[in-house]
Amino acid sequence: MAETLKRVLSRGGAAWSREENTPAAGPPLLLLGAPGSGKTTMLFAAALEAAGEGQGPVLFLTRRPLQSLPRGTGTALDPMRLQKIRFQYPPSTRELFWLLCSAHEAPGPAPSLLLLDGLEEYLAEDPEPQKAAYLTALLLDTAAHFSHRLGLGRDCGLMVALQTQEEADSGDILHLALLQRYFPAQCWLQPDAPGPGEHGLRACLEPGGLGPRTEWWVTFRSDGEMMIAPWPTQAGDPSSGKRSSSAGQP
Amino acid sequence: MAVVLPAVVEELLSEMAAAVQESARIPDEYLLSLKFLFGSSATQALDLVDRQSITLIASPSGRRVYQVLGSSGKTYTCLASCHYCSCPAFAFKVLRKSDSILCKHLLAVYLSQVMRTCQQLSVSDKQLTDILLMEKKQEP
Repeated sequence: MAETLKRVLSRGGAAWSREENTPAAGPPLLLLGAPGSGKTTMLFAAALEAAGEGQGPVLFLTRRPLQSLPRGTGTALDPMRLQKIRFQYPPSTRELFWLLCSAHEAPGPAPSLLLLDGLEEYLAEDPEPQKAAYLTALLLDTAAHFSHRLGLGRDCGLMVALQTQEEADSGDILHLALLQRYFPAQCWLQPDAPGPGEHGLRACLEPGGLGPRTEWWVTFRSDGEMMIAPWPTQAGDPSSGKRSSSAGQP
Repeated sequence: MAVVLPAVVEELLSEMAAAVQESARIPDEYLLSLKFLFGSSATQALDLVDRQSITLIASPSGRRVYQVLGSSGKTYTCLASCHYCSCPAFAFKVLRKSDSILCKHLLAVYLSQVMRTCQQLSVSDKQLTDILLMEKKQEP
């Protein structure tokens, strides 16, 4: 999944690259951020990316139906792609367990991407670590099964969004440590800006051994469209007392 | 595996796989390495393999899961694709992040893969769902 997200992020700046027919989704990715940091939008952008031409369907799991479709990322919401995204709404942890455990019984083609929004809500229902570990492990196992069904050279990616709090309690910290064991790649979304007077989000992508950490600047236009650019790395601009270490230091 | 083992463990397991023929003995040098890396869990895991305690359960869908008959007589479920075992020792070690990464049941599963020896059981897709679900309801 890290590769798919990287493609979403790098599309914002550069011209579309030769990686168009790369089948590899990359390692499972955990998307982290406070409420309102754009996680759902980012997940949806990844879903649109993965639902591109010639690629398989996408399975998007979330507790509640999205109130409105998050805006696109530079291209219009292509109806062909939208059709390939299948939404399911497990209302409880028990339902989510059932969905994952019975994923091999579901008919139809295997998805090329499995997304889950709001993992923290499912974990909150049953915070006991062994259950949390089992839920996480089942997500990986389900994606692995879909990969197996897709066949040679094709993978099902996995991307899961987890809401973090400003003040994390010990339970949250434990869950995070546990999740980081299972998700080699992580992307943090936080409100930040490269210079004074600007605003937006900083997306910090750790691909989990596949390469160096990369950072991106995410903003939303007045019409709601998401714009992405690489985080400026020149430290020339004195940050006037704002988050001083945010100038892309690796 | 979706979750990667530390390089040294991966290397040891793949060297063993190359060196060991089906159901043959593991050469001493590998036994020593196992014990060095895993301590007493290594002996217990080898014991589980010797006693044919590991079963690979598969359904027509191609999805698989392992079950290991523990020394206490209890059966534990281990996922095939990533590190998870339903035993209390795994929960304890997962809680304490700095502790070892595998319980003896998971180690036994890896060893049985290397030695290509374990029981096989075929079940229906529905039965496999039940097996996976049962873990959620397992009493602590």
